[in-house]
Amino acid sequence: MAEWNAFYQNEEADEEQEEGEESAVNYKVTGRDSLVFLVDASKEMFIKGEDGEPSNFDITMQCVRSVYTSKIISSHRDLVALVFYGTEKSKNPRNSFKHVYVYHDLDEPGAKRVQDVEALRGERGARLAADTMGSGEVSLGDALWCCSNLYSDIKLRLSHKRLMIFTCMDQPHGGDSTKDRQARTKAGDLKETGVVIDLMHLMKPGGFDVSLFFCDIVSPPEDESELGLQVEPCGKLDDLQKRVQAKQQKKRAMARLHTVIGMNVAVGVYANAVTARKPSAIRLYRETNEPVHSKTRTFHTQTGSLLLPSETRKVYGNRQIVMEKDEVDTIKKFYDPEIFLIGFKPMEKLKLHHHIRPSVLLYPEEQQVTGSSCVFAALLKKCTEKKVFAVCRYTPRRNYPPRFVALVPQREEVDESNVQVTPPGFNAIFLPFADDIRKLDTPQFPTASDVQVDKMKEIITKMRFKYRSDAFENPVIQQHYRNLEALALDMLAPESIEDFIMPKVEQIDRRLGPLVDEFKELVYPASYNPDSKPAAKRKTADAGGGDEKKPKVEIPEAELRAHIKNGTLGKLTVPVLKEACKQFGIRTTGTKKQELMDALIAQMAK
Amino acid sequence: ITESGNCSLVLCMDVGFSMSNSPPGEEPPFDQAKKVIQKFVQRQVFSESKDEMALVLFGTDATKNPLDQDGQYQHITVRRQLMAPDFELLEEIENHVRPESQQTDWLDALVVSMDLLQKGKYDRLNIVLLTDLSTQVSSDNLDVIIGNLGKLGITLQFLALKWYGDGDRRGSSRPGVGKGLSREQKQGLEMVRDIMLSLDEDEGLDQVYTFSEAIEQLFMFKHIERRPMAWPCQLTIGSSLSIRIVGYKAVTDEKLKKMWITVDAQTSKRDDVKRETVYCLDDDNETEVQKDDTIQGFRYGSDIVPFSKVDQEQMKYKHDGKCFAVLGFTKHDSIHRHLFMGSQTIKMFAPKDDEHAGVALSALIQALDKLNMVAIVRYAYDRRCNPQVGAAFPCIKQTYECLVYVQLPFMEDLRQFSFPSLENKKFTPSESQLAAVDSLIDSMMLVEEDENGQKEDMYKVHEIPNPAFQRLFQCLHHRAVNPGTPLPTMEQWLKDALERPSAISERCQAPLEEMKRKFPLKAVEKKKELKTGAQIFEPDAKKSKVDEEEEEFNLAKISEGNVTSVGSVDPARDFRSLINQKSLPFGEVCQQLTHRIEQLLSNRSTHYYMKCITCIQTFREQSVKLGNADLYNSYLQSLKKSIPNSGLQVFWDLLVQGMISLFIGGSRFSPT
Repeated sequence: MAEWNAFYQNEEADEEQEEGEESAVNYKVTGRDSLVFLVDASKEMFIKGEDGEPSNFDITMQCVRSVYTSKIISSHRDLVALVFYGTEKSKNPRNSFKHVYVYHDLDEPGAKRVQDVEALRGERGARLAADTMGSGEVSLGDALWCCSNLYSDIKLRLSHKRLMIFTCMDQPHGGDSTKDRQARTKAGDLKETGVVIDLMHLMKPGGFDVSLFFCDIVSPPEDESELGLQVEPCGKLDDLQKRVQAKQQKKRAMARLHTVIGMNVAVGVYANAVTARKPSAIRLYRETNEPVHSKTRTFHTQTGSLLLPSETRKVYGNRQIVMEKDEVDTIKKFYDPEIFLIGFKPMEKLKLHHHIRPSVLLYPEEQQVTGSSCVFAALLKKCTEKKVFAVCRYTPRRNYPPRFVALVPQREEVDESNVQVTPPGFNAIFLPFADDIRKLDTPQFPTASDVQVDKMKEIITKMRFKYRSDAFENPVIQQHYRNLEALALDMLAPESIEDFIMPKVEQIDRRLGPLVDEFKELVYPASYNPDSKPAAKRKTADAGGGDEKKPKVEIPEAELRAHIKNGTLGKLTVPVLKEACKQFGIRTTGTKKQELMDALIAQMAK
Repeated sequence: ITESGNCSLVLCMDVGFSMSNSPPGEEPPFDQAKKVIQKFVQRQVFSESKDEMALVLFGTDATKNPLDQDGQYQHITVRRQLMAPDFELLEEIENHVRPESQQTDWLDALVVSMDLLQKGKYDRLNIVLLTDLSTQVSSDNLDVIIGNLGKLGITLQFLALKWYGDGDRRGSSRPGVGKGLSREQKQGLEMVRDIMLSLDEDEGLDQVYTFSEAIEQLFMFKHIERRPMAWPCQLTIGSSLSIRIVGYKAVTDEKLKKMWITVDAQTSKRDDVKRETVYCLDDDNETEVQKDDTIQGFRYGSDIVPFSKVDQEQMKYKHDGKCFAVLGFTKHDSIHRHLFMGSQTIKMFAPKDDEHAGVALSALIQALDKLNMVAIVRYAYDRRCNPQVGAAFPCIKQTYECLVYVQLPFMEDLRQFSFPSLENKKFTPSESQLAAVDSLIDSMMLVEEDENGQKEDMYKVHEIPNPAFQRLFQCLHHRAVNPGTPLPTMEQWLKDALERPSAISERCQAPLEEMKRKFPLKAVEKKKELKTGAQIFEPDAKKSKVDEEEEEFNLAKISEGNVTSVGSVDPARDFRSLINQKSLPFGEVCQQLTHRIEQLLSNRSTHYYMKCITCIQTFREQSVKLGNADLYNSYLQSLKKSIPNSGLQVFWDLLVQGMISLFIGGSRFSPT
């Protein structure tokens, strides 16, 4: 969305504004999100699976670690805590609870904490856990009580409070009804203060029966249906991570809008994916390494006095076309925020290459307009059946020019253990305007023969794999965080990362074997080498490495003077002029030919 | 690949006698043509195009052109030589292009235009001819003219008066020989056809537009656009198979080139305004420190890690630069359309002069297409740019084949939300409801088959010019030519282009009524209506919810007499509590609140602004509740007055955005 800022972007657009993209949530205003991991540390959790499969405790720790690191990357302001129950030893703020061990209290996750959790993983981790905490009696009630104290000890405003219980015991108190009741009461108290309690129930022999006890502990599912607990217990790290990931991120609507089909249906707009970037740097005071904040002032060059916004105006480009700030806003205003239905088109009319920005997901807002969900469900159903999408005019906020979107129906999908993998809703695909489409001159070539195509088919078949959208980590970001981690923890060298988007060349070569040469023989003549640069190759956009390659183009001073004298300096090319500038030690900032010429003439006149 | 994509263009416009004739109630062709020219020049000027442009008028009373000799080429005026379009050209068109009374052979004008182009320095040459074709034309030298057009590689576009009966611009009917044309017009049309066909056998009359088409669609503009930048690279599969390719951006979220800059209001000079950033410690005095005394650091969760630029550069992820390497191939349907990332699609072709690469690439494209698969690739534009993962789709068109590259998400980019299922008894639509939706969809289909079984699309978004640009150019143009006057309203054609086609609007009336009857909708009153989509106020809604919760807790505190005055931590909450307690007079509580607001405002920081806005919202809400709006309104009045002098415009803007309405007015105000 924020690209639209560019429409009216001026020098004032500093880093903060850039950061304030679609994902950005103003924590100062909303308060912090918080997440407590409440992990069962009783003996059963440490039992390894058959064939040496990691124990439930182990996969839980791996999962906690990955949440810690992902929080650090995506939302470091969130507070996270790690609490064990059913321990032998106790450690909590006032030491008022037995068998509850607060490993990390609610705080922003940092490098140290990641290390701490890392230490609890695997064989060694189990030993460490046994040494520091041990396994003992279980009282979930005390554990929950302790957690509620964690929340109340926080001075910050918390916006979203979530507690996840990781256990493989469906009857933690072994049928002790007093303890069960106590736990229910405490869970009730927590829920009343706005804490959402989730159960991450883990595999155990004989299956995990939620209805025995935990159904009264956890928060009811969002849709108030009986669903939610039909979810199968988790046995695999992947599954657990996915479930935790799906829950731990608070959904935040980017906008709430009304669709206008002549009737008002309220919908929320959610980002499907947002490009994660390296965070911007912060400035620290050299002496103390404490962060400094910046203030930007606008002042008058001549008088030196501060300028108020009302004392400035806006000018477009280099032309003296002056507007008031509010005029600039009105120009951008077309409609009130809305999604206006134009009509429907068959799915095949949605062109693959008509892509200009990541899509967003629409989901009804029943809390705003009752009945929205029903209309939405009906539209979803019918659009899917009839294989059509809706064309809508989309105005996300005030003073935003409209864009058109294709609303493509997306039915809900669940995996084999009943966990939602695709949410229901309409994906809004942004459609390009005429300006966004470039006219290309398309070269024409003879098409490949069947033999050639078939050979390529063999190659393709050899290199098939199953694509998953979450399979590729961003090496740039990962490297950045590994570096920070190394610096923060005084490690000698950063942990190496795996570059998932690097082709595994050797593996590919091995798999393809002779196919490559066979294909090359079919399409390339013997003399042809696709790797050699064509002779007539011109300078390309890749200026980055250009410097070494470029031949030096020096010009004798006499010749240069002659050019200046005859006024034929313009005949020289820009690289020659630049080289000449360097030759005579002229520092030029300009890259324009005229600027270079002016600089040379000025120098020679001296 | 030619390096200079720049072009020169001659706008050749008929201003002669017949151009100002029109049936009553219709806009004369002259006015339409002038608008087209203005639109076009506007666009070029405001995007600071370097393309050169000349303006030739014919049918003028005067004669001024280089070919004016021996009574030939009379009544043709070269209004402007080839040069970059600028603001003066806009003014000139506005003030000096007017209907005149002569009639000139448009072929003569074409010759004058060609003569001008020959002197230009660019290699892409265009002529746009605007005429109603009403003049007598001598076709003597037609062959020579066509020959020269071809030889010079000049692209010619005709913009002519509406000349076919039905005025439906979205209709597929290309101009045929229309009814009601004069003999001259028919003859002219034939000649146009001859010229166009001999110049370009493929497109022919597709390059002939009516004026209104030219305005509403960007055909003309698109045609002369700069050639996109080529990106030559090699597609590699493993270590030893590579295919030379060239990529071009095919679709991209186009931005304006120029931006708004801030100038001094009095002098309108940019140089008079200077912005300066200072760094302060987070202590009470906000001690300023020099930029040189600061270093760079990054956050790692709760840790702040000093990390110098040099170290960062050294340790950062490095790669080998430009690349388009296949990681593997996968099923087409495993790529989700809604997870396309980035803001562009790139089309990959083989280089023009390399037939072998063409064949090799064609083999890949055909094979992918037949297997219904796509390539997953690593793409890096160059060494400085971060590498991406993306998909290369096969694209086979009648005249060409290419790969279409789109960026795909990284794991870090994904938002894996889960939403409550809609397969919920509460929301399940009934059969009759589904039937209503069914007929609504049927009535609103934008693509329909005509008599010949041809599918016709009534609403092509990709043919609508970006309204934001159009509107901005219109306003800039207006302000430039008529300084000091208020901005104009949006042009009608643009408004229309953004609306539902009228045919659809009519057809969907009844089904829509049915929908309304079948689906009861009820806005939930209590919650603050979030009319503003403004993001910063989103959280506010949640906050107020939290506030309400907290309010409940606070009841206990209140009974203990905890809140005695409006504090600075959460003044809005205190204010509300005090009013609920009724221990202090309303006036006094209000005064305490406004005092706090003033205090907070003096901090000049967005964080405090938000707090103040919450205060004012609460102030308003409580005033409405108590039926006492005077204090609120008068406070707001005085606040508003003080804004210009206190430098709080930013705050005021936020406030205005954040509130549905500022003042409590009589109509909105009811004691319920």
